[in-house]
Amino acid sequence: MRTRWLPAVIVALAALPASRQAAGAQGTGVVDCAKCHGNREFIERRSDRQRADTLLYVPRAILEQTAHQSLSCAQCHEHYDDGYPHDAQARVVPCETCHEQEGRDWAASIHKANASTKGDAPHCTGCHGTHLIYNSTDRRSKTHPLNVAETCGRCHADDRIIGTYFSTADKKTASTAVAKYYETVHGHALREAGLTVSATCNDCHRSHKVLPADSPASSIYRDSIPATCGRCHEGIVEVYDRSAHGVALARGDTTRTGHAAPVCVDCHSGHGIVRADEPSWHRGAVEECGTCHEQLYETYFETYHGKVTRLGSELAATCADCHTAHDMRRATDTLSTVNPRNVVETCRKCHLQAAAGFAQYVPHADPHDRTRNPQLYWTWLAMTGLLAGVMGFFAIHTGLWLIRVAIDARRRGDGHGARGGGTEGPS
Amino acid sequence: MTPRVLNAADRGEGPYIRRFTPLQIILHILIIISFNGLVLTGLPLHFSSAPWASFMVTMVGGLQAAALIHRICAVITFGYFVTHVGSLVLSGRRRGFKRLLWGPESMVPQLRDLRDIVSQFKWFLGLGPRPQFERFSYMEKVDYLAVFWGVAVIGFSGLLLWFPAFFSRFLPGWIFNVATIIHGEEALLALSFIFTIHFFNVHLRPEKFPIDLVVFTGRATTAYLMEEHPLEYQRLADSGELDRRIAPPATRTNYILGITFGFAALAVGLFIIGLVLYAVIRG
Repeated sequence: MRTRWLPAVIVALAALPASRQAAGAQGTGVVDCAKCHGNREFIERRSDRQRADTLLYVPRAILEQTAHQSLSCAQCHEHYDDGYPHDAQARVVPCETCHEQEGRDWAASIHKANASTKGDAPHCTGCHGTHLIYNSTDRRSKTHPLNVAETCGRCHADDRIIGTYFSTADKKTASTAVAKYYETVHGHALREAGLTVSATCNDCHRSHKVLPADSPASSIYRDSIPATCGRCHEGIVEVYDRSAHGVALARGDTTRTGHAAPVCVDCHSGHGIVRADEPSWHRGAVEECGTCHEQLYETYFETYHGKVTRLGSELAATCADCHTAHDMRRATDTLSTVNPRNVVETCRKCHLQAAAGFAQYVPHADPHDRTRNPQLYWTWLAMTGLLAGVMGFFAIHTGLWLIRVAIDARRRGDGHGARGGGTEGPS
Repeated sequence: MTPRVLNAADRGEGPYIRRFTPLQIILHILIIISFNGLVLTGLPLHFSSAPWASFMVTMVGGLQAAALIHRICAVITFGYFVTHVGSLVLSGRRRGFKRLLWGPESMVPQLRDLRDIVSQFKWFLGLGPRPQFERFSYMEKVDYLAVFWGVAVIGFSGLLLWFPAFFSRFLPGWIFNVATIIHGEEALLALSFIFTIHFFNVHLRPEKFPIDLVVFTGRATTAYLMEEHPLEYQRLADSGELDRRIAPPATRTNYILGITFGFAALAVGLFIIGLVLYAVIRG
C-alpha cells in the first residue's frame, strides 16, 4: 500500500523549490510574509505541532487563481505585517468586512445559531476553506455545484453531527438527506448528466441563510417553497400560482379536514423527487393526490381508469391526465380542463374520437351513493339483487337436493348416491 | 348396480343414444374456451384490489395481452352466439319453427317447467315423487337461457365499453358507468352460476359425480336417458325415433379428449370460485 502514495510525495517534494521561487518572485509590497511562511523548513523548526505546520506554511502562490488572488496577506491578516513577533492587535479580519450580505445572511442562519450554542457549526471557512477559496463557478471550488453535496455531506452525512444537532424526529430524514439527494432527479442530473444548472443543496436551502423548514424566514418554509422551486421552475410556479392549489395557498385556506393547500414538495417530496415520466411516479402521484382528496381517490379506483392503474397500467388516465399536473382548477372555473365546456377536449387527449356524450361520464362514480349517482346506485342495486336472488335460490335448490340424496341413500343403506331418487319410476 | 365409471353418460345398460350434434359439441367447447378466457382476463380488473389480481394479470401475459385476449374471446362469444342462432333458423326452416318455440323439444319455458320446479321441491322435502323430465329439464333451460341473457347483456355492455367514442355520439356518458357496473356484476353472476350451480347440476351432484361427458361425446346410454329424461325416452320409444338415434360408443380419442378437457374446465372453474370467495370475504 505504501508504495502507492510514495511517488506522489516525491513529486510534491520535488515541486517545492520551484513554488518557493515563484513566491519569491511575486513577493510585492508586503513585509515579506513569504520569508517565513513560504519556507517550509523554517516553519517546521518554529512549531512543535504538526497541524500548525501545515496551516502556517503558506507560499505566496497559494492564492493564485483563487477568488482572493489580488489580495495581500495583511488585507485579511490585519497588522500581522507590522513586524515580528506579530503585533498583539493582529487579527483575522472577519469575512463579512467585505462580504456584507453573506455575513448578514449567515448571522441569521441555523449554522450561526448552532455555532453560538454548540460551537462547531460551520463558519465561512467550514464550507469555503481558508486560502484555497475559488469562485463557485470554478470546478475546484468547494461550492461549485458539482461539489456542494459533498461539502454539505461532510457534516450532514456524519452521524455524530446529525446526532448532536437534529431532533429525534428529524434524525432519520437528516441522516439520509444527502444520500437520497443523489437518487433524486436533481442528483441524477448533476452526477450523471453533469448538469451544473440542476439544483443542489444550496439552491433550495440557500447558501448562507440556511434555516430549518419550520422557520418562517426559511427558503423551505412551507409557504415559501413555490417561490424557491420557482427560481428554476419559473414556468411551473407561474401556472401553480393561478391553480386551485396556488390560490388556496395564497389565501391560507385549509380543507374541512384541516389540510393546507399543497406546495411542490407535498406531491413531489423534497429528497425523493423523481422524473415525472418514471413509472413509480405515474402510480405514486395518485397516492399523493389521495392523501388529501380521499373520497375522489376511493371513487377513482372504482372506475376502469383506476382499476387498470392499480394493476400497473401506465396508459390509463390518472389524476393529472384530466386535472393537469399544476393547473388544476375547480370544475366550475371556465379555464378548468374538467369544466363541462372543456371536458370533452380533455377526454380527447386519449379518446381521440370522443364525442359530446363523454361530457356526462362520471370519472369518480360511486355506485353506492344514491344521491350523487342515482342511475348507478339503482343499477348496482338491481344487479346485486339479481345476483343474490339467483344464487340464493339455487343455493337452496342445491342444498335441498344434497340432503334429499343423502336421506335416500341412508334409507336404502347402500351408501351410494341414489340414482332415480326416492320414489321410483313414473307415477 | 353396474360398476361406477367416471363418465355419468357411460353408466347403465343399453345402446348409446345420440343427444347432441357435432356442431352443438363444438359450440359448447367454444363457450368453455371463450368464457374462461373472458373470466381469467376480466376478473383481475373486477377485483383489482385482491392480492391475486396482479399475479393473474402477469400469468395471462400482462395488461395489454389481457385486454387483447378479452376482446378475442368476446369475438368468439359473438361468433358462437350468431352461429347458434343461425343453426336454429336453419333447423326451423327445415323442420318447422313451432317445434323450436313450443313443445317437448323446445328450450322455451313452459307451464310444465313451472310444475316441474314445484314437483322438484316437493321431492326435496319428501312430499312427492321425483319429477320426470322431457328432453330438457328446467335446470338445463335455465343454463341455456342464462347464456342467451348473459351474452346479450354482457355482450352489449362490453361493446359499449369497447367502443365508447362511437357510442358517445348518441348516448350520454354516464351510460359507460352503468355499462361498467352491469358488465362486471352480470359477469360475476355468470361465473358464479356456471362454476357452482351448473357444475353441480350437471357434473357434481351425487347421481353424476364426478363428470358427465355427454356434451363432449354427444351420446349417452339408454339407461342414462331413462333416468335423466324419462319422458323423452318414452316419447322417442313410442314414435320409433329412438332406433334412429342409436349411435356407437364414443371413440377412445373422443373420450380422452373429453375427460381431459372436462376435468380441466371443472378445475379452473372451481379455482376461480375460490379466488372470488377469497376476494369477497377479504372485502
